[in-house]
Amino acid sequence: MEYLKESTFIQIRAMAQFWPYLFLVIFIAMAIFSPWISPFDPDRQHLLARLKPPGFEVRGGVFWLGSDELGRDVLSRVIYGARISVSVAFLSVIFSGVVGTALGMLAGHHRGWFEQIIMRLVDVFLSIPAILLAILLVAILGPGIVNVILVLSLSRWPRYARVAHAQTLSLANREFVVISNAMGASTLHVLRTHIFPNIFNQILVIATLEFGLMVLFEAGLSFLGLGVQPPAASWGSMLSTGRNYVSTAWWISTFPGLGLFILVLSANTIGERVGGLPTDRDTKS
Amino acid sequence: MIRFLVFRFSQAALTIFGVVSLVFFLQRLTGDPVALLLPETATEDDIKVMREVMGLDQPVWSQYANFLFDTFKLDFGFSFVRNAPVSEIIISRIPETLKLAIGALAFSMLCGFPLGLIMAFTARRQVSKWLMAFVLACQSLPTFWSGIVMILVFGVWLQWLPTSGTGSLSHLIMPSISLGLLSLATYARMTRTAVLEELDKDYIRSARARGVRTARLVQKHLLRNSLVPIVSISAIEVSQLLAGAVVVETVFAWPGLGLLTMQSIAARDFAIVQIIVLLGSFITVSANLISDLLYSIIDPRIRP
Amino acid sequence: MTKEVLVKMPFSEGRAFLALFLKGLAALFLACVCLSAFAVTEENIVIDLSGEPASLDPHVQWNPSSYYVYRNIFDNLFTRDNGGKIVGQVAETWEQTTDTTLKLTIREGIFFHDGEPLKPSDVVFSIKRIIDPEFGSPQLGQFNKIVDAVAEENIVVISTADPYPSLLAQLVKLSIVPEHIISKVGDSKFNDAPIGSGPYAFLEWDRGNMVKLIRNEDYWGDVGPFLRATFRSVPDVATRVADLRAGTADLVVSIDADFAQQINSGGTGKILSALSERVGYLGLNLEKPPFNNLEMRRAASMAIDRQGLIEGLLQAGEVPISQMLTPSHFGFDAAVPPFEFDVARARAIVSTNQALASSPATLATSPVFDQRIVQAIQQMLNDVGFNIAISMSDMPRYLEIVTSPSSRNSELSFGRWSCACQDADGVVYPLLHSSSSWSRVKNTHLDDLLEAARSSLDPEVRQEAYNQVHQIVREEYLMLPLYQATVLYGAAVDLNFVPTANESMFLNRMRIIR
Repeated sequence: MEYLKESTFIQIRAMAQFWPYLFLVIFIAMAIFSPWISPFDPDRQHLLARLKPPGFEVRGGVFWLGSDELGRDVLSRVIYGARISVSVAFLSVIFSGVVGTALGMLAGHHRGWFEQIIMRLVDVFLSIPAILLAILLVAILGPGIVNVILVLSLSRWPRYARVAHAQTLSLANREFVVISNAMGASTLHVLRTHIFPNIFNQILVIATLEFGLMVLFEAGLSFLGLGVQPPAASWGSMLSTGRNYVSTAWWISTFPGLGLFILVLSANTIGERVGGLPTDRDTKS
Repeated sequence: MIRFLVFRFSQAALTIFGVVSLVFFLQRLTGDPVALLLPETATEDDIKVMREVMGLDQPVWSQYANFLFDTFKLDFGFSFVRNAPVSEIIISRIPETLKLAIGALAFSMLCGFPLGLIMAFTARRQVSKWLMAFVLACQSLPTFWSGIVMILVFGVWLQWLPTSGTGSLSHLIMPSISLGLLSLATYARMTRTAVLEELDKDYIRSARARGVRTARLVQKHLLRNSLVPIVSISAIEVSQLLAGAVVVETVFAWPGLGLLTMQSIAARDFAIVQIIVLLGSFITVSANLISDLLYSIIDPRIRP
Repeated sequence: MTKEVLVKMPFSEGRAFLALFLKGLAALFLACVCLSAFAVTEENIVIDLSGEPASLDPHVQWNPSSYYVYRNIFDNLFTRDNGGKIVGQVAETWEQTTDTTLKLTIREGIFFHDGEPLKPSDVVFSIKRIIDPEFGSPQLGQFNKIVDAVAEENIVVISTADPYPSLLAQLVKLSIVPEHIISKVGDSKFNDAPIGSGPYAFLEWDRGNMVKLIRNEDYWGDVGPFLRATFRSVPDVATRVADLRAGTADLVVSIDADFAQQINSGGTGKILSALSERVGYLGLNLEKPPFNNLEMRRAASMAIDRQGLIEGLLQAGEVPISQMLTPSHFGFDAAVPPFEFDVARARAIVSTNQALASSPATLATSPVFDQRIVQAIQQMLNDVGFNIAISMSDMPRYLEIVTSPSSRNSELSFGRWSCACQDADGVVYPLLHSSSSWSRVKNTHLDDLLEAARSSLDPEVRQEAYNQVHQIVREEYLMLPLYQATVLYGAAVDLNFVPTANESMFLNRMRIIR
């Protein structure tokens, strides 16, 4: 009996190590299966049951997490919000990561005028506050989820390009690269087989940190009225409308805020584990 | 060294030029401010007159040439939305944003360094994880939400601090914390990394093996050696703060550059946005330049 | 104090610095302790606006934040009393001498804040300044019907190009500026430190932050209870409400009913409200599907539960309307039948042409509007079978969309309209006349009616024309008027004033309740 207790305890502790992955899986599951698991249609308004506290019973069910300013079920909106928040963050990290890494590696490999152009472009983009760039771009492209992803990707790719460029340069004089170049291997081949595998870890670390930032960025755009279009729910847009009701209906913003917090925390923790030691210096410089 | 300096300076100038040009054309794509300046009953003629007054009837290229020429002469133009010279408007806002930035940096450093140190020395223990979670929590709540919650708690319910606006030092506390929370995590983690790396070095290990007290180690070696990366991060943090100020200044009605940026974009006040961007990129680029130069003085191998 | 320190510095720098430092600390401490007085005082009233005045020169910028402030510094030719009736202000008496000339007698005994008397020549100067295209006033469009103004002793004669019935309503917005100052210091300096003849004089403008005014003790009319007034710029509505609840602001503007409830429940503030001349409406694109079809427009109108919107969301006593005017406008016709709300019939109509109804349509809106209303309308329309998506863009982009030609315009747009003139000409002409960029309507009969109403001085002729306009709009569902909006202010419990339909805010009409 004693033995059993002990081992369960150890098992639980070992399992606990996986919590960031667990949450990530939960959020992704919420995103994929939202139509099946949410109790209400997230956009269904009940104007006579506005701002009701958690546990409020209406015809057709219970608002387990209360209702918002239009009488929509907060729980369903949190579940559907995961879909938008996770996919906006995921897709913009993928786009900016792929474009930034590719350009950065190319710039590091093809030194000279190409490198100069790319790296000056990186400087230019890094010198404009991302939020300003985002506001301008949304004003030009118009709002909407696709444009939000585009805007986030456009303003974040230079981070990856910087690191990819620096890492490629530092690998340029390593034997395997020099030999491969001397043997006349194509750029694509060198980058793919020699450079990319060696910088992948670093890129992944940035990506996980950026993932959390993207969720926050989308929230910021929502606050400025430039995020995803209503009535669609994202955690950011729920927070930004819910903040106006903090003193009368705390539940509107608290639950998406909690989701956002756990998502960012999980992403960052995974990032640290992947990178071994935290590598802020690489991501920031 | 001189060649290096010339190279870096021309790079910096090119970057600023690029930023300003990019923003100039992006802004022109966002539509023009005339409709917003005129009442709803304005006729086509009114719109035409207004466009002429503002110089928006000229082709974009000549507007661009004029803008570059005027900026070069340090003539920053006139804001038709605010009816005042741009330089006057921006100069009046700089001290406010500076106050806020200093307050935020002070807060994030004063809390970030100790937190980072503690996290480094407790790295193998659970405490470190909880601290990290706390630090990340600070960073992962959107400012527009934490800001209003602070206002309600400390301004409305407890009545300890003024709810918004400027005036006394007490007005500065909440906006500084709100803005500083964004950088707090960066400083704490930077410090932790730098100290952990330093702790791993042979001289520290042997010193520790000899039984030198931790406090003394921190004082003597760690802080000094970890300072360089931390200072260089501050350069970048400053430009991040400018971006964060947009939301913080809106929430706390703080009359600084961030709020001005936001309102000017919303009003398509091109002249002001343009000069703020110029100023912002100038600060960012010079901060980077200075940290690069400092590095190259410390470590000459970095020079190309 | 600074001077003193500067003189001392060479002798004992260290001590002076220390003293300065200590004084600074003491000042900071005091500042922290003396936070806010609660109730509104006779000393100072603090008003939170949503933005900074763009200009304090009344002939330049046109936005509410400027308007709230400068209307207290200047007198206008006319004003509206709390009941909404046009009464003389600078003009003491007036007479329409011919169809195109208006004769005004200028009130004597009005003085500018620098002590100079307000002369008829100042009135002429003000009129000529605002109609001068070179000056480029954004308000030009409201006054360019005026061709000339002549002063003679205490009489000013204004002549217009054509008969212009809403002239008086427009002159309510014409502030009188001092010729002798502007011709001396120029337009730009005048804007920095405006001098008027109103109940409050300009004191200080801390750009981006606040404007301070001080009572004009020599004012010819009612001076009002406050010695000073501070207008602050607080862009975030949640912060404005927090300011009021914490007692650091006495009056806040631009709030909705949900915030009003927070203020009421907090006990530290109250709500002042009045029906305004602002109309909430849906604009329809008559050239794009689905609303190029009359039946579809009828169905859309039937799908919207105006009463439900008002009782469920707006909750501030708004009134459903079926014409683009409110009872406070000249030209309002009480006989226009209300819109029916009938979901079943709306569904039936839609089901006869499902393909047309379900063609994708966008509803243009902007963050400044109440998003709850926009989303509720979207749901009501989609419930009966339409396929509406919301497209929210910032104000300049929104304006660009809704004033573009039909082919580039959105299918639907939400809007709130006020001309601050309480005359039909300022509402239905720009929204329905084919020459206006705001109008989606091309109907020559309607154009004729609107022009006739605009150029006749006979109120009965005008009213008859507007009645017909309302009827056409109602029968063909050219636009969907929704409700007469309410203007809401949050105020300290002991502050009283009567909000007016044209959303003006005069300090000298406010009172402190004892």
